[in-house]
Amino acid sequence: MTKTIDYTFKEHLIERQAKAEAAMLKEFRQGDYTMEKPLIKYNPYFVNDLAAVMLFRTEEETAITVRVVGKTKEADIYHTFPKAKEHIIPIVGLYSNYENKIEVYPYQKYNQKVVHTIKTPEVAGAKLVEYMDTTPEYMQDNVMFLCPAVTDLAIAVDYAGDVRLNFTVPMVWDIKRKPNGNLLIGTERLVKMPYFVTGIYEMSPVGKIYKEYRVPHGYHHDQITLPNGDIVALSCDLDNGTVEDTAVIIDRDTGYVKRTIKFANFIKPGAQKSGSWSDEDWFHCNAVWYDEHSNSLTFSGRHINAMVNIDFDTEELNWIISDPEGWPEEYHQYMFTPVGDGDFEWQYEQHANLITPLGDVMCFDNHHYGSQNPEKYLSANDSYSRGVKYRIDTDKMEIEQLWQYGKERGKEFFSPYICNVLYYNEGHYLIHSGGIAFDGEGNASEELGPFAQLDDPSVRLESITVETVNDKKVLELKVKSNYYRANKFPLYAKDGNNLTLGKGQILGSLGETPQMDYDIPAEDTGEILPDFHEARITDEADMFTFEAKFEKGQLVMLLLESDKETRRYFISTSKGKRGAMCTGTFLPEDDRDTRTVITKEGMDGEYRVKVIVDDKKYDTGITIKA
Amino acid sequence: MIKEIVKEEFATDLAEGAVLVDFYSKTCGPCKMLDFILKDIDKTYGEQVKIIKVDFEAYPDLIEKYNVEGYPTLVMFKDGKEISRKSGLQQKPVITKMIEEAI
Repeated sequence: MTKTIDYTFKEHLIERQAKAEAAMLKEFRQGDYTMEKPLIKYNPYFVNDLAAVMLFRTEEETAITVRVVGKTKEADIYHTFPKAKEHIIPIVGLYSNYENKIEVYPYQKYNQKVVHTIKTPEVAGAKLVEYMDTTPEYMQDNVMFLCPAVTDLAIAVDYAGDVRLNFTVPMVWDIKRKPNGNLLIGTERLVKMPYFVTGIYEMSPVGKIYKEYRVPHGYHHDQITLPNGDIVALSCDLDNGTVEDTAVIIDRDTGYVKRTIKFANFIKPGAQKSGSWSDEDWFHCNAVWYDEHSNSLTFSGRHINAMVNIDFDTEELNWIISDPEGWPEEYHQYMFTPVGDGDFEWQYEQHANLITPLGDVMCFDNHHYGSQNPEKYLSANDSYSRGVKYRIDTDKMEIEQLWQYGKERGKEFFSPYICNVLYYNEGHYLIHSGGIAFDGEGNASEELGPFAQLDDPSVRLESITVETVNDKKVLELKVKSNYYRANKFPLYAKDGNNLTLGKGQILGSLGETPQMDYDIPAEDTGEILPDFHEARITDEADMFTFEAKFEKGQLVMLLLESDKETRRYFISTSKGKRGAMCTGTFLPEDDRDTRTVITKEGMDGEYRVKVIVDDKKYDTGITIKA
Repeated sequence: MIKEIVKEEFATDLAEGAVLVDFYSKTCGPCKMLDFILKDIDKTYGEQVKIIKVDFEAYPDLIEKYNVEGYPTLVMFKDGKEISRKSGLQQKPVITKMIEEAI
């Protein structure tokens, strides 16, 4: 048997980057590169195609200032790098399809500047911005970073509406900037459909990845760094067969899980059900926040219409912010009574909760369905979303709405999924409504953006990001796509080194993929899986992905056969739509496509890959090594 | 004991003891896989638990009555009262836990 299904070995980005960096440094060390004639490597880390690295030497230890020349003076991006003789300088903030001018000069010696040109191609995200309405005085050298929610990947936009960062790999979920200037964002390595990825990258805007923190059984939505550097990441309760109802605390050095927090220990599944609720996704945690002052964690449960606060050490319930209607009596002691003279509304299917330095609670209130009572659910056309801030009194168990933005914009600002708010200072907030969708007739879509996009070519996806200062709008960015979250920061970290050389680390564990320990009776055909299944395997060091087309309802199982054991993995051919699709980046266009990822943990040696389809067993001709 | 639903007997079957109801479809891959698991579980628990299979397409009235939103869905009853529910294909330990809580 010589024929096989398609097979590709895919190196981890960290491996590819290490090789590319080594080759770049070798070329640099073999040449005589000066500030006047530097070595320039465009997108050397394969991640950001509006970035480059410039390498040269100076005879004396010299601090070097770089100016990425903007299309206007206000769009310039500057950074000064520390004294050195060997300069390996990340260049970020390039424009798409443009002859970018880069000025380089010794610190404070502008008259010694030399100008280099980096010509860039047209990049995918450059045409998505509809408008940016702000001032350069307000925005300064910040960009608005937008995380993907559909197939359009991450971009960052400057004050003028120009895209200055464009990711070429689908890194997803929340982005946060660490105090050292590095970014934390979900990896592009899908470990389970529809959107669970292997973990979290720590990286710099130029595209260099320093660490992958692998999260057993998949990472989703959000993470937060604790004061000691450990990371709280959201995951799933594998033992209970449920999803998005677990958090893990990951050791900052080893990447291994130190503690697992299961939400079913403090909220009974089914105690409250939002309009998008399901048995499997009963909590749908989309945010985690650590508050040092109260040593507590707050989780946003979209499918229970609640923000839930627990003690960090004991995991005991402290409070719940939710419309009390429909909650069992046992939870009422943890819930608040609205007070105050102003408007008050509860939040529904909210996202991205946070606690301000004053102890107030903020979130993006998607207001999806707008009620605990199915008989009062709002249609999409009648819906609105908003950023909201509540003040809570945990002695009196009272709650007051202090601020909101967005309700007044109606369906124009309505996102039934995703989105976030950020707190900068009292009265100074970001409100990102990134999941707006309209059908061809201008109605707000009842379907979530990723599904609407697949089902209806005339659908219009939008993302609107607003910043306000004391209720005055100071920024509005509109982009023609859906974006999970927004975060604003300068591309060069003021306090970071922006590029650290050396190979990145892959930390922690992916966990062992659950097997299905049932031997399905099947006739061994001795044949290769037929071509019409379009099967292919993408192999990696720590996992492999089997992709193939199967008809709805077929019984399909992947077998790994070695001399010692047979491992069996079920492949789902069901086509139901989830009530949540916070990142549709990995959704296939053809609903016959299946994508199954098997981690190599627990495997030892060589395994022949076979497939059972209904009552027939086929070979793939592929052997996987673990 | 595992059996297909007999509509006239369903209420009586549910009324007493531990009963696991499997709402399934003949056109559903995960349901077919779940069938293997339930047969295995049936060997372990025998008369301790009744496993009743309900065809999703054939009994829309029961689907509505029990708020079943998709298939497969497993609903565990004890003396006629629902005590747990799982949708989607479940591993044997998860189903075993549902049964252990009911018997």
